[in-house]
Amino acid sequence: MNRNDLKVISEKAKEKHKKYKHKICVCCGAGCISSGSEGVLLKLQKEIVERGLQNEVEVIPTGCMGPCNQGPLVKYLPENTIYQKVDCENISQIVQSQIVEKKPIEDLLLFSDFHPKPFINAHDDPFFKKQLKIALKDCGDINPEEVEDYLAYDGYLALGKVLFQMSPEDVIAEIKHSRLRGRGGAGFPTGLKWETVYKYVSEEKYVICNGDEGDPGAFMDRSVLEGNPHRVIEGMAIAGYAVGANKGFAYIRGEYPLAIKRFEQAIKQAKKNGLLGNKILGSEFSFDIEVRIGAGAFVCGEETALIASIEGKRGTPKPRPPFPAESGLRGKPTLINNVETFASIVPILNNGGEWYSEIGTPKSAGTKVFALAGKINYSGLIEVPMGTSLREIVFELGGGIQGGGEFKAAQTGGPSGGCIPAKHLDVKMDYESLMSLGSIMGSGGLIVMDEKSDMVDVARYFMEFCMDESCGKCVPCRVGTKMMHDLLQKIYDGKGTSIDLERLEELAIYVKETSLCGLGASAPNPLQSTLRHFREEYESKIEQDID
Amino acid sequence: MQNITIYIDDKKLEVESGKTILEVCRNNNIEILTMCHLEGVLDVGACRLCLVEIEGVNKLLSACTTKVAANMVIRTSTERIKRYQRITTELLFAERNHMCSVCVANGKCELQNLGYKVEMDSIRYPRLFPQCEVDTSHSWYVLDHNRCIMCTRCVRVCSEVEGAFNWSVKNRGYQVRIISDFNTPWGESTTCTSCGKCLHACPTGALWPKAIVQGQLDKKPEIIEELMAKRKMGL
Repeated sequence: MNRNDLKVISEKAKEKHKKYKHKICVCCGAGCISSGSEGVLLKLQKEIVERGLQNEVEVIPTGCMGPCNQGPLVKYLPENTIYQKVDCENISQIVQSQIVEKKPIEDLLLFSDFHPKPFINAHDDPFFKKQLKIALKDCGDINPEEVEDYLAYDGYLALGKVLFQMSPEDVIAEIKHSRLRGRGGAGFPTGLKWETVYKYVSEEKYVICNGDEGDPGAFMDRSVLEGNPHRVIEGMAIAGYAVGANKGFAYIRGEYPLAIKRFEQAIKQAKKNGLLGNKILGSEFSFDIEVRIGAGAFVCGEETALIASIEGKRGTPKPRPPFPAESGLRGKPTLINNVETFASIVPILNNGGEWYSEIGTPKSAGTKVFALAGKINYSGLIEVPMGTSLREIVFELGGGIQGGGEFKAAQTGGPSGGCIPAKHLDVKMDYESLMSLGSIMGSGGLIVMDEKSDMVDVARYFMEFCMDESCGKCVPCRVGTKMMHDLLQKIYDGKGTSIDLERLEELAIYVKETSLCGLGASAPNPLQSTLRHFREEYESKIEQDID
Repeated sequence: MQNITIYIDDKKLEVESGKTILEVCRNNNIEILTMCHLEGVLDVGACRLCLVEIEGVNKLLSACTTKVAANMVIRTSTERIKRYQRITTELLFAERNHMCSVCVANGKCELQNLGYKVEMDSIRYPRLFPQCEVDTSHSWYVLDHNRCIMCTRCVRVCSEVEGAFNWSVKNRGYQVRIISDFNTPWGESTTCTSCGKCLHACPTGALWPKAIVQGQLDKKPEIIEELMAKRKMGL
């Protein structure tokens, strides 16, 4: 396929969709599948055929739509009506009422168990209204298993534009202009990273997509890979063109079988259509992607450990410098970005860096995907502009605290992050603001806790996680996390003393400053942030010292 | 290699570029504590004892893996560094079962020496006292996990110098252990050549020849460096 063919195919795919009067999307993300959406999809397809509506109604499986705990979700287009907790019994009612009688079913509407008057157009609900979907834009609207669907949504046009109208320098300049920062957690400027890899002269370079998402409660990358794999492939190919790499690896954790299946399928489709492989779209640029499956080590999300794992070695980190940009996979310059970062590349090139840079806050441009979890009414996936306040996320998008409870804290950044207490509910969610509160943006996990949560237990839980997931290579992380965990357990059990607390605080600083990689360096964060904001809970558990 | 100027602990030095901070310090008689470093094998930066402060860098970097750069200002013995060296040492002692008085390496142990160097008069952390195995299955040698500090010098010597790849690491976190082959008893290893280099590489009394008792261990870690130097010269 060359560039002109691409446009023709894209137009054809659009025509094909236009001939249907109605479109019904059934969410087939891992969350909805686990609550039975595949059965719903089959039943719906059967029902449509039985009623002879197959030329009027298009039924497709899609990726994640967002409100995961309300699943299985069924969306009716063009009205954007979403039905929640749909089971096979409801299907004939939905088809009869929605398609034949053109009347929505109030009792099944999204959030009808919370609102007396749920919205017929789901996008009028604050859950969607406050969102700005860029990385997740077509997720939930297209069939992730069909490349034509992605093409109908202008897929691979950005790649075509890049290959024929832009030099690698132009692409890097555009990304730099967008002020996009790495979405894996640390927030390193993406354009600068690309430029660094571009500048190293080497015959061989690599692009790696980090899909080893491991924070408890986080599933942003999984949803992108499951819901729109071609977007990530296109982003990786553009990155390969920009930095001068012809080979890419997608490292996806083994616990995501559906993401792996869909991503591998998407690679095959892209290759078959000349969108990957030799001389992409008839240009001089060749790029290939292979999937590597993680074997269940959290530390393999750390870039040097991930590279070791791809090389077939034990997944342990290496000291940096040298950074992967200089010496990465097989000692060659390597660009490594997160799934969400790659998913943001295509919209930036389609709409321009200027457009992206104007979204969000001056230092943190664009949008961020968060995975809402914990004691919140609507848990699921949201994408909001950087700088949206925590209060808006929890109380407007998230629908407030479960069972009318009281908000106590929100945990961001998983085991590397910290807790934000109620008095900082108005904090703007961007890299710097979260850092100033002793937390981090992280990859986007957001766990909401109510007044029943014990903050010492929270710290203990995350320390246990880090202790178990430490690779054991360096002393501070290997022994330090174990010591801190034991001390936290002792305090939690009511057997701690003020000396234990002192030791704990000293160890926290030590482990943070001396650990080899980011896992150890950030392992004390949950402890330090709960100590900072909830010190009285620690002190109340400590036995009174006897003089 | 061109010469560059660097500053270590306020001392101005002209050094060859391309060297690590550790090499430069050792060449200039500036003491850097190390445990996982072994002359002759590649550095991994795991023990974190050789951390130094570098002006303009907000992290502490390991001297063994960081190369000198022009005009680098390095500090090797600030109060903070000393405090951290002491904590690292205490954690190493607390982690497994280090009883110097009954150890074969008593008097020749690098961990014991480290304790003296950082003036460790007590261990402030609870000892973990893990139940560790002692592998005596090999005809000549013993691997005592109680005394292992996971420096992986044996692993590197076995793969990089001997080329046998007998030693490896299993598990994660504080449960990591050195393993022989695919976690088989050492005596049943099909890769071990019984060359004995790992015994010389080991800084503690974790690897030792049978038929010796307390304090009798004779280690020569320098033979690894000599071997590698000869090999480089094609001897």
